[in-house]
Amino acid sequence: RIMPVRWSRYNPSYLEPEVKTESHQKPLEELTEEEKEQMDLKAVRPIKAAPATLSSSVFSDPMISKFTNMMMKSGNKVLAKSLMSQTLEAIKRKQLEKYHKAPENEKETIECNPYVIFHQALKNCQPIIGLSSITRGGKTYQVPVPLTDNRKRFLAMKWLITECRENKHRRTLMPEKLSQELLLAFSNEGPVIKKKHVLHKMAEANRAYAHFRWW
Amino acid sequence: QLDRGCALHTAARGGLSSVCSQDVPAERPRAVFHTSESDPAKHTEQHEGRLYNIPLEEVKAVFPHGLPYRFQQQIRTFNEARVMVRRPALELLACLKGSNLAHPAVRYVIYGERGTGKTMTLCHVVHYCSRQGWLVLHIPDAHLWVKNCKELLQSSYKKDRLDQPLQASVWLKNFKSSNERFLQEIKTQKKYMWGKQESTEEGRPLGEVVEQGLARVRSASDAVGVVLRELKQQSHRGSFRLLVAVDGVNALWGRTSLRKEDKSPVSPEELTLVHNLRKMVRNDWSGGAIVTTLSQTGSLFRPSLAYTPQELLGKEGFDALDPFVPIPVPNYSPKEFESCYGYYLERKWLQHEKAHTEDGKAELQFLSGSNPRQLDRLAGPL
Repeated sequence: RIMPVRWSRYNPSYLEPEVKTESHQKPLEELTEEEKEQMDLKAVRPIKAAPATLSSSVFSDPMISKFTNMMMKSGNKVLAKSLMSQTLEAIKRKQLEKYHKAPENEKETIECNPYVIFHQALKNCQPIIGLSSITRGGKTYQVPVPLTDNRKRFLAMKWLITECRENKHRRTLMPEKLSQELLLAFSNEGPVIKKKHVLHKMAEANRAYAHFRWW
Repeated sequence: QLDRGCALHTAARGGLSSVCSQDVPAERPRAVFHTSESDPAKHTEQHEGRLYNIPLEEVKAVFPHGLPYRFQQQIRTFNEARVMVRRPALELLACLKGSNLAHPAVRYVIYGERGTGKTMTLCHVVHYCSRQGWLVLHIPDAHLWVKNCKELLQSSYKKDRLDQPLQASVWLKNFKSSNERFLQEIKTQKKYMWGKQESTEEGRPLGEVVEQGLARVRSASDAVGVVLRELKQQSHRGSFRLLVAVDGVNALWGRTSLRKEDKSPVSPEELTLVHNLRKMVRNDWSGGAIVTTLSQTGSLFRPSLAYTPQELLGKEGFDALDPFVPIPVPNYSPKEFESCYGYYLERKWLQHEKAHTEDGKAELQFLSGSNPRQLDRLAGPL
């Protein structure tokens, strides 16, 4: 059997599963007209199977799940999830130790929430403009090109993971190295931010070929 | 500091002049799940579910080894050591307070499912005894003595026994740092020969035996045996009270994962450390108590869901430890869960925004099943 990867083989009549607990717990009177219609539709139409990554937990975060999936090797999600949780705990411990040792006036500037640090670090690592190779007259030129949001997020996560896998000492573990890189990226330092700046400079240097882009 | 207790406390609740009136939350909501009573002797049922503070210098003096690794990390992060007062520990303390030291030593076995707080209960009792001035013989994990041993020497004392110099010297170092005072006062009662030239005369302080064991690592296991023997013989005199605290006592009667040079398996009797410890855990001496913990997590060749004494000790161990006082340790009660959750919130350990809500708390309680270890693991990344 061929499993569909990109385009869904479901009949269009199938509806998406609803995971949020709040929408199920609303009493009948509070529903608006559209929501009542939606509920009647759900009683009749079939519903798609919920993927294993979809969770109703209040602590689930789509960015963290995407990052965990990218870190996963040969389908070992258990290991990837445990590495991610150890990373978040390591970030929290480092920041809390700094927090407790800092004097009173500096305490507000130190961010202790590992999720805030993760999101901000990823945002800092995202490039604004990328390069794409276009062949004209036998020669390939690197043309500066705008990137979509998905591509930016993917590039940031990919750079972080490759940086942590390659440039570390043989004995350091992934959570420790990742937490180090995330804290550096949070304060706009570190090798991943440098890589983003190098890409921006290359795009600026190749400005002359920007007219090769036709989209 | 650790002053010597003068009289035995009685277990009568009315007799204790408790300072519980101080704990009534007056100034800050912090006091609801904390208690300012840092002396375990004064803990009663009013303090159940509350966390008490151990000053960091005392932690270094009383627990050179023996605290779980996650708890040590927590002490480093929060800069304080807070232990929860729970009902099994209170029962044990009441039994110890009311025990008659002229009778043979009573054995207590703390058992429970994985991650319910057996080692922390043991540490609470060890803290109480060191506060009362007892001599504490704390073996942090007996499983470390029966597995992963790099060096096994043949014992010079008995032909068919095997020595473990590394484990013995590590334990002697920690024992010395926690019981310095006693080592000067207790004197040996027999002359001991270490090899052909060195010997310890009769009447020398026990500290010399420990020094000998640390200096000559080859005879460290024999030094441990000598220390245990002397303490057992002299405890009935009443000059000091002895507490034998063993974590993971089921290691003494199971199987080992060690092999001799001809690849034949080693049984626990053939190890000097285990042999001497088995003699210590027998109740043929008086003047103290024996508190032990069963542990499946480090045990060898035992099913992972086993937690009762019968399953973990096997027939041989059960017969050796019988009769004992069993002390089951359950998961957190709702009140204990509330106080643990409140402590994490107050120390800023739970950073996720949703963790402060009711939904987050309900989810944590459901996912962990009120198991202390699961709650700690779940609250780590949050």
